[in-house]
Order: sequence, then structure tokens, then C-alpha cells
Amino acid sequence: MKTINDYMDTFAIAPPRLEQLTARALSKGGDFCDLYFEHTTYMNLLLKDGEVTSGGSHTDYGVGIRVLKGEKTGYAYSESTSMADMLAAADAASAIACSPAEPRHYARTADRRYDLYPSRIDWRTAKVNELVRVLKDLEAAIKVKDTRIVKIIARISCSVSDVLMYNSSGELTTDSRPMGSLIASVVFQQNGKTESKSVSRSFRMGAEMLSKELIDELAAEAVSGIDERFEAIRPAGGQMPVVMGAGASGILLHEAMGHAFEADFNRKGQSIFAGRLGEKICSDKISIIDDGTIAGNRGSGNYDDEGVPAQKTYMVEHGILTSYLHDRISAAWYGVPSTGNGRRESFRYNPIPRMRATYMEDGDTTREDIIRSVKKGIYVDEFSNGQVKIGEGDFTFYVKSGFLIEDGRLTAPIKDINVIGNGPEALADISMVAADLKIDNGTWTCGKEQNVPVTCGIPTVLVDHLTVGGE
Amino acid sequence: MMITEIEKEAARFCIEHACSHGAEQARISLSKSVMDTIATLDGEIDKVTHNADCSIYMYLFADGRYGTFSTNKLDKDSLAVFISNALEMVRTLGPDECWKLPAKERLATDARDGNELGLYDPAYLSLTTDERLGFARSMDLDPSLLKGEDHEVICVESEWSDSIDDNYLIDSQGFEGRQTETSFSVFSEVTVQDKEGHKYSGYWWDASSRLVGCEASSCSRKALEKAISQIGPEEMPSGHYTMITDPSVSSRLVSPILNALNASSIQQKVSFLEDSLERRLFPEGLTLMDLARTPGRPGSRLFDTEGVATTDSAIISDGVVKEYFVNTYMAAKMGIAPTVEDISRPCLLPYLKDENLKLAENDINLADIMAICHDGIVVTGFNGGNCNSVTGDFSFGVEGFAFKDGKRLHPIKGMLITGNILELWNHLIAAGTDARSCSRWQIPSLAFGNVSFSA
Repeated sequence: MKTINDYMDTFAIAPPRLEQLTARALSKGGDFCDLYFEHTTYMNLLLKDGEVTSGGSHTDYGVGIRVLKGEKTGYAYSESTSMADMLAAADAASAIACSPAEPRHYARTADRRYDLYPSRIDWRTAKVNELVRVLKDLEAAIKVKDTRIVKIIARISCSVSDVLMYNSSGELTTDSRPMGSLIASVVFQQNGKTESKSVSRSFRMGAEMLSKELIDELAAEAVSGIDERFEAIRPAGGQMPVVMGAGASGILLHEAMGHAFEADFNRKGQSIFAGRLGEKICSDKISIIDDGTIAGNRGSGNYDDEGVPAQKTYMVEHGILTSYLHDRISAAWYGVPSTGNGRRESFRYNPIPRMRATYMEDGDTTREDIIRSVKKGIYVDEFSNGQVKIGEGDFTFYVKSGFLIEDGRLTAPIKDINVIGNGPEALADISMVAADLKIDNGTWTCGKEQNVPVTCGIPTVLVDHLTVGGE
Repeated sequence: MMITEIEKEAARFCIEHACSHGAEQARISLSKSVMDTIATLDGEIDKVTHNADCSIYMYLFADGRYGTFSTNKLDKDSLAVFISNALEMVRTLGPDECWKLPAKERLATDARDGNELGLYDPAYLSLTTDERLGFARSMDLDPSLLKGEDHEVICVESEWSDSIDDNYLIDSQGFEGRQTETSFSVFSEVTVQDKEGHKYSGYWWDASSRLVGCEASSCSRKALEKAISQIGPEEMPSGHYTMITDPSVSSRLVSPILNALNASSIQQKVSFLEDSLERRLFPEGLTLMDLARTPGRPGSRLFDTEGVATTDSAIISDGVVKEYFVNTYMAAKMGIAPTVEDISRPCLLPYLKDENLKLAENDINLADIMAICHDGIVVTGFNGGNCNSVTGDFSFGVEGFAFKDGKRLHPIKGMLITGNILELWNHLIAAGTDARSCSRWQIPSLAFGNVSFSA
């Protein structure tokens, strides 16, 4: 277990210097300042054509210094933690205070402690040859399942970030954040046709995550549904009911609705949900949560990147819009506590409101009843390449796999189509929610200005009307 | 701000240390950059940032094995430990004799001072904070534009950004290459609300390697125009329409082709252009060039990430596929000749399917193409979607407007296009000459016939 002093040693820093830096950063009149020290070690290994013949490791080290004046941000970082370089960064960040702004009080945060990712095997001490063996085991487990396989790529990516945060309220926070991902991409050929499938699992865990059970689970998923993919058709397009399968369909919840709940878009008036707190926005069967407290989850953190402890936040509770997702800036502007959503890609970026694990709570019906209720529509179990326009709420998602629904039954498999709609309208159009919530633990990464790891989940739901683009 | 002799010495130390500790070959890429940004929100300074980076990327070849490593801790003691650990890791990987440096004669020899392509503007060094503030302020939207007959402005976000990137690449064969670039860019996003409370957003950007080439003052106004142009969308029936793409988004229809021409995709059997070399798969008369060596243009470079000299070459010539992107590893793996790792600066040459049309080939813009096509839909933005890399089947969400008799009608609402990318390109009607000069991808307005739209 690392102590505060271990972190101080990592960054060659001491408490008096932390105070000196914050004092310097606030010397031009800023309201609040924070320091974010980070040392990250990454490693990746790639199996291709049966051998692990490429891989590498990467080290990133530095400190980001942020000064807030009102809602305005001054930000600079240094890749060196020499006092001279950090003071120069503090001076650069302090410049924001030279522009006029209403002063804002940035409150201290509640002191709660989590241990959401007790790592038993630190990736930094994991043996490379053992990781190579995992990749070979995964390849073998996949290969044996289907004679149509012509190519397999398997990859391990892992990292550990040691983080020390200090702010002008005197809050000192440390965290050591592991992340591991196991990924496989498989290419199949049959009668001159080619299909591919990618599967992944990613957790805030150490190397202990690479169990035989995980390998078997991933291998089984890598080959599942391939018969259907070879047979899949593009259905006729048009407006129709869409049943979203449990799990990975949650990406639609993240993109089409979740971003519109982020408080920066609402503070600036850009979001379709701006000014609608307390309003009923969808069926009372629906509650939507953003959760940073799920142990081992890719989107979780003991603290966010502003040192605020992990939280579970209801954005929608029984159909009522109850909260936006806040960082310190938006929380101070709205006069509410931060929800712990201030996240950043690395010390090179200032934190902004970001989602963590975003999902819908269970409803009161079953998947089978939902499918049975649809006369003509589609069932989607895998989306990708989603995009949303925050102001309009318009979204488009690519359907990687699914089925036609005809007279209440799943019939022909479908692929390579899009669904298009409007986030708030689609949310209001959800009429049935099953009790089969599944969080998808794939390698989801949200790309709003910066890349941060997230997860998503959803029970099976019925959206009464969406536009489907087909032949 | 630029790479110093001491930092170059650190890069050379990496080569020497790696080779003296068992590496047969090594390549080192040293990158240094500084970037300043000033962002405004509704006319007030909202964010000021200053970023400075310096890191080393190592490509190490030892015992027939290979690995890539990077660090931003550049003192010699840290580098020595890092390289020793890196070589230890390389030796645990599987052997693959295909990993090696490019043949020496393929390497660039003409990139020594970093500014051979004229991408560095000395004006960067004398830019002051006040001048940066002045450029950011010049992007403020005129107050008279904040409210119109059918809309009001909800939010204006703008950003001025300037940067310098200095890259130094060396290898254990004695290769040395450098490229230094400055960049000055602006970005604005404007959100408006119509009388019914519907919100629409539009963005605009400009960039140049020269300070004088970056147009800041019109950026917010153009973003506003893009936002306003979407007010009052109307539903259109599904069907097959002529589609024209605006030059700011046309590259979306070229990128699946370039991805499919990458040797790695072909070797892994995830390319719809496998076995396409020297075959006419695109319309006769269509030519896509890689103009890597044009001075002063974004994307131009004298060497690729391996140090291999770039050339100005045809990727597709008269509809025939002429080149895959093949790095040294893939060339050895596939038993074919290497080219360059990736395209530098794709440029689509003007094209008119109907040879009888009387348009000056050096000046064909979006309006000309609308006039040629008479009726259809102009796509001004893609919203999500995908192109299947194995089959070329695509489905994209689109926004834009309908036009009739060459004149704009109304914005469209909630539409998708579907099809196959090769079939789409074989329905090409025209390619203009209006690619945006600030873009690395020189892809102009494009017109395609018989495109399937769903609503």
C-alpha cells in the first residue's frame, strides 16, 4: 500500500512546495487553484499471425496546474517537477485572473474514501512472458471454436497511473489507478464472403483480471452470432419500433442522452435539457444513473480528477430530470455540490464534466414480452460509431448486428444499417423497460474533447419510433 | 521552443545506448511542441492554456524482435534505465525477421534544417500575449448578429490557438531528418434557438502554417451562418437522390478507400480493396494523388514515420488503383515492394463525368456543381455511421439541404444514406476544385448520382 510519502517521493515534491505553488498560482487574484501530478506507465502486447511479435511500454510524467477565476480557467502543465518549471507553469495558469470575472467560492468536498480497485497483481510487476501466454491461450481458445477463422489479432493493453492532487482549499488526495484491457479481433471467411468481429473486456484491476474464465468468456463471445452475420441482410428503411438489447446498447444512452446531462453544456445553454431540472422528461418507469462507485469498473475512480470522492448520481429518477453531472466549476455556478464528474485524460488537460458508468435501472417487464409486443420492427444488440449533436439532440448510430422483428418474433439477422433519432424524443418514446440490466465491460472510451474510459449499460427497452436507414 | 542540441544529444544517446546493449538497429523520434490557446465564451475570455511537451519515441530491434517505447523523462540516467528495461522486454517477444529498418537508399536525404517545406513561420517567435488576445477578441460576434427575425444566439464559443511542432528523427544507419512546423488556428461554435425553442449549432474553423494565412475575424460569423442555415428543417421522403457533399466534409467518403489501401488491412483480410492493384475499380478519369511535397501546405512532409522519402504519386490514376501503403514490415511480410507508411496529403483532381459540360476545370465550386445536377441534396455534415472495412458497405447519418434547379430549398431532417462505397464512387458525377486550403485532405465538392436516402 503506497503512503502519501511514497507519492511525494514519486513527484519529488513536499507539502511546503505544494503550498508555495498554489500561492504563486493565486498571486494574480484567482479564486481557486489545483495541482494534478501524474505518473503513468503503459504497456501493450499484440498477437498477430500466431505470434506476439510487437509490444512496448510508455512512460508519461508531469503536473497540471489550474487556476479558476469565477468560471474562467487558466491551465498550464509541466513535464518536469523541478520547482522552477512548476512555478513557470503556475505563472502561465495565473494569467486568467487578469481578466474580469465575478468571484466564486469553491467549497471543500466531503471526505469519503473508497477502495474500488484493490489491485492484487500490479501491472508494473507483471511478467511479460506470462502476458504473452495469456494472448496465446486466448488465440487458441478462439481458433478451436470455428473452422472459418482466417485471422486472429489479440491484444493486452494495461496501465497504472499514480496521481497526487492538491488544491488551494488544502485538500490533498492520492490514488493509484490500474487499467487492463484484453481485446480480440477475428476474421471469418465462408464461400468467398468475409465477416469480422471484435470483442473486449476492460477493468480497473491488476493483472489478476486475466483469468481462464475471462479468456473462455471472450473466446465464446468472439465466435457467437457469426452464422447470423453471414446471413444478415439490410432491411427496408423507414420509421419503426426499435428494441435495444441489454448491455452494449447502453452506448446510445451515453451518447444520445448522457452528454446532454453534462453540466457544462447546460451552464452554457447549449444542451436540450438546459433549464429543465425538475421537469418530467420521460416515462416514470425510467431512472438513469451515472455511477463512479462500481468496483473494478472501467469508468470508476476512488476520486474524480479534481479530488472529489466517487459518487453515484441519478440524472433521471422515475422520469424526472433530477441532476446534471458536475465538476467543481459547474457545481459552484449552480450552487450545488460536485457530483464527482470532473475528469481529464491526463495532466495535459483541465478537468471537465464527464460520464463514468452510465446506465438505466431495471424496469418491470421481460425481454420476451417486449419483443412479443412488436409487430414489425428491429431488435439491435450491438451499436457502434454513434454521434450526437448536443444542442439539437439528434443522434445517429450504426447497427453492427441485430434482427428483424416480425409478428413478435426475431426473424432475419440484419447488419450495416443506421438508426437515427432525437435523444430527448427517443427517451420520451421508451414505452417498455425489462428487468435485465447489463453493464457492458468493453473498452468504451468517450471522446468529448479528451479521451476518458467509461462504461455503459441498459436493460432491454422498446423505443416506439426511430428512423432506420436500410435499402 | 525548438529542439536544442542538448535534446538532439539525448536522442543520439538513445541510439548509442540501445546499440551498445544489444540492439541490432534502432530508430529514435524526438518531438517537441509548444501550444497556447485563448478561448472565449460569449465574448469574454473563458480559458487560457499553455502547453509544452518534449518526448522521445524509440523503435528497438534486437535478436530478430521488435518493440516500441516512449518516455518524457529525458535525463540520461532515466533514459539508460528505460532503454535497458525496454530491451529486456523486446527479448521476451516472439521473433519476426520482417521487423527491420528501411533500406538506407529509401530514406530521405533532404530534410536537414526542418524548414525545407516552408511550414515554419518565424512570426511565431515574436507573437505576444496581447496579440493572441487581440486575435481571440477579433473573433467576437458582432452584437447586431445576436438576434435575428427567426432566431437568437444562445452561445458563442471561440478559440485561438498557435503552436510549434519540432520533430527530429534519427536511426542507427545514420539517417537524420527534421521537420519544424508552426500552426495558427481558429475555431468557433455557435448555438442558436428558433422561435419554437429548437436549438441548432454550427461550427467553422481555419488554420495555416503562416500567421497571416489564418482568418480569425470571420470565423464566428461563418459558424453562425452554418447554425442559422439549419433552422426550419423539413422531412423528405426516402428515395434515391443526387447527393453533393460540401468540401468541408467530402473527405469522409475518401477515408474508407485510403484505409482499405493500407497493406496492414489487406494482409489481415479486412480490406474491400484486396487484389485491387492495377485494376480499374473507380470511374475512368478519376485521379487521387498524394502530393506530399508541396511547399507550405498542411500535411506536406519529406519523410514518413520510418524516415522513408515521400514522393508525389498517384494513388488512383484514371480510375486504376496504383498504390498500396506498405511499410518496411508489411513489405517483408507480404513479399511486395515497400512504398510509404501512410498517405501524407491526399488530393482529388477535378472530374466531370459528362465531357460535354463547359466548365473551366480550374474553377468548379459547390454552386457550379448544384447547377450541373439541377435537383438533389447537399450534405453539409455527417452525423455518425460507419463503412464496413471488409465489404465497403456504409451507412451514414447526414445533415444538409435540398436543392432544386440548382437553388437551395430547405434544410433536411433526420436522413441517412446507405450503399457500398465502391458503387457510390462509380456513380460520381463531378469533383470540384474548391477543397479548403487549410485542410490536409484536399477533397473538393463531390456529386454522386442515385444515392439511397432514408428518412
